[in-house]
Amino acid sequence: MDEVKIGVFICNCGDTISKSVDLLDIRARLEKLADVALVSIGHDLCSPQAQQAIRKDIIDNGINRVVIAACSPQLYGDALANLVEKAGLNRHLLSVANIREQCSWVHPDKDKATKKAMVQIRMAVDKVRLQDVVEQAEVEVYKDVLVIGGGIVGMEVAIELSNLNLRTTLIEKEANLGGRLKQFAALYPLQVTPEEMLTSRLKQVTGSENIDALTSAGLKDLSGEVGNFTAKIRKGNEEISRNFGAIILATGYETLFLDKVYGFELGDNIITQSQLEGMLKSPGEIKKIPQSVGFVFDICDEHSRISTPSTLRNALVIKERFGSEVYVLCRNLQVDGAGLEKLYQDVRNKGVIFFKFERFPKVLRENGKINIQVEDLSMAREQVMLSCDLLVVEEKVVPHQDFATLESMLNIGLGPRDFYQEDNVHLYPTSSTKSGIFFAGNCHQDLDLGRALTDASNAASEAYQLISSGKMRVEVERVVVDPDKCALCLTCLRFCPHDAIRIDYEKKTAHILDLACQGCGICAAVCPAKAIKFKDWSDDQILAELEVV
Amino acid sequence: MTTGVEFLPCIVAFCCVHSAYQAADAAGRMRIPYPENIIMVHIPCAGRVDTLHILRAFENGADGVVILACHEGACHHILGNIRAKERVERANALLREIGVDGRRVEMRTCAPNDGSRFARVCHELEEKIKELGPSPLRKHA
Repeated sequence: MDEVKIGVFICNCGDTISKSVDLLDIRARLEKLADVALVSIGHDLCSPQAQQAIRKDIIDNGINRVVIAACSPQLYGDALANLVEKAGLNRHLLSVANIREQCSWVHPDKDKATKKAMVQIRMAVDKVRLQDVVEQAEVEVYKDVLVIGGGIVGMEVAIELSNLNLRTTLIEKEANLGGRLKQFAALYPLQVTPEEMLTSRLKQVTGSENIDALTSAGLKDLSGEVGNFTAKIRKGNEEISRNFGAIILATGYETLFLDKVYGFELGDNIITQSQLEGMLKSPGEIKKIPQSVGFVFDICDEHSRISTPSTLRNALVIKERFGSEVYVLCRNLQVDGAGLEKLYQDVRNKGVIFFKFERFPKVLRENGKINIQVEDLSMAREQVMLSCDLLVVEEKVVPHQDFATLESMLNIGLGPRDFYQEDNVHLYPTSSTKSGIFFAGNCHQDLDLGRALTDASNAASEAYQLISSGKMRVEVERVVVDPDKCALCLTCLRFCPHDAIRIDYEKKTAHILDLACQGCGICAAVCPAKAIKFKDWSDDQILAELEVV
Repeated sequence: MTTGVEFLPCIVAFCCVHSAYQAADAAGRMRIPYPENIIMVHIPCAGRVDTLHILRAFENGADGVVILACHEGACHHILGNIRAKERVERANALLREIGVDGRRVEMRTCAPNDGSRFARVCHELEEKIKELGPSPLRKHA
């Protein structure tokens, strides 16, 4: 390898850095460091003129490693890497010392700030000295998406993708598309009926050339990684094998009645929300119109985005359709979706009476009637006795029973409540832990219908961004395994959170899938033989950085 | 402690790029000062930190080491922070074995937008290490 020549470019950031850091002193000290061939102080390195000057400096002085001491790499890290690339160097041969956000802006004392900036730049120099080249490559990916779950969210995802000109295969285990939407009696606060929404979406799905909807179908097996998944789909007795670039899960949720929580059993006049929805959907099932109906919720989940709106919705439907007395009993009513506050107002204006309780009300069955004894907090804690013909109770929203099978088949994670676990709830809310697999709708979060549809669009656009060009840029061998050191202990395989490690039994070594790797470095830290090298954060580099201590 | 010269502890903070590193940037944007003798090592995930790195920091003379990771359940790499915690415990046990106070190495969490928490954690760490005094492993102690 050639002689290492490090160029250090320091930005004064319109005097905000030089105000509290003595850059001239730093330059003098840096010039004495080994391998540092050039130290230059510039104005606003983010400007095109300054970048051109840096490029010229790199080329003219034969610099082959670059350190830039400026603002946070979170801001211009990519732009600076592009700059280094344009100067003919590999984009990884750059280290950024964050002397603005993490130094000059927080340490007003000039001596101390200068000392810290020197430490930071020295660490960057020590790190970049040992940096290996990591090439980038373009890989062809399939421009097909597999959507699992043909409910309203799955259909929405497929429609969005087909509008973006991506071919989609939509698989649904039931005989018909539509999922839970088919059971809903109304969609307040949305101004459409479930039938209208379903018909319009079905028309779009069946009318689109890009969507292949397979009903009574399920995923049997999946192999490969992002950009090149191979799925075996079972439809009846047939088995179809197809390739996909990305997968979106829209498997929805299930509901469960918890008799232990309530302390009573269901019966003719105590029914669940889903049973009520079934009744409202097929009016023939209603033998006698109930004169008074009670709803109880907020028991299983504190403030569920699914059960609160559905209670309000069904209370309004009953009030409008039958004119019955309606009581809603809950611990604390919270609504946080678009239009839900108005829906709540509408429900109250129609004459539905709300009771908020602290202790769960007593429910007594008597002569075909349900008597509910509740302590009313708004009326000086008086015991109120309500008599209802029908009591509707909330169910717990639980993950679908297929989740566990899909989890192991797709190698993705389940969160604490056994719903799918997002990669990061805040930063990557629709991404799974495995690259190329996304979530939409209620399979990963508690969402009302409006939010679930937004979530569907988000997931669709994430998948679009990933594979729409038919190509993906990938870092080649950013993390490498030394086959001589690898003892096939499988530790890395077990620890990798992104399922990016495979074992090559012929070569007797683990190897890392460049496409699936997301660069956390956990494998490099856990490898007992230290056989894994993460080129951007190798052990040598981190230890070299620690030399400043 | 009362030797006339004020003891300035040297603390190494491994900062996860998904949380603490961004929190430090946030602290910078909000101009919240924190002790400058904290050496921040930029890492891709707390899970990248090996027991070796922690021990080397002490060997080189650090008075305290902290891993600043994402809150539990919010790790971009799912269990990176949990892995880091295990390694902190391991380093802790090893340090105790050679007679160094295990409290010198710690794991803390913070959110990427929480600059004030980052600064507060830094102050707390400095206070703690000041109480513990210089590390017995300091080369020039």
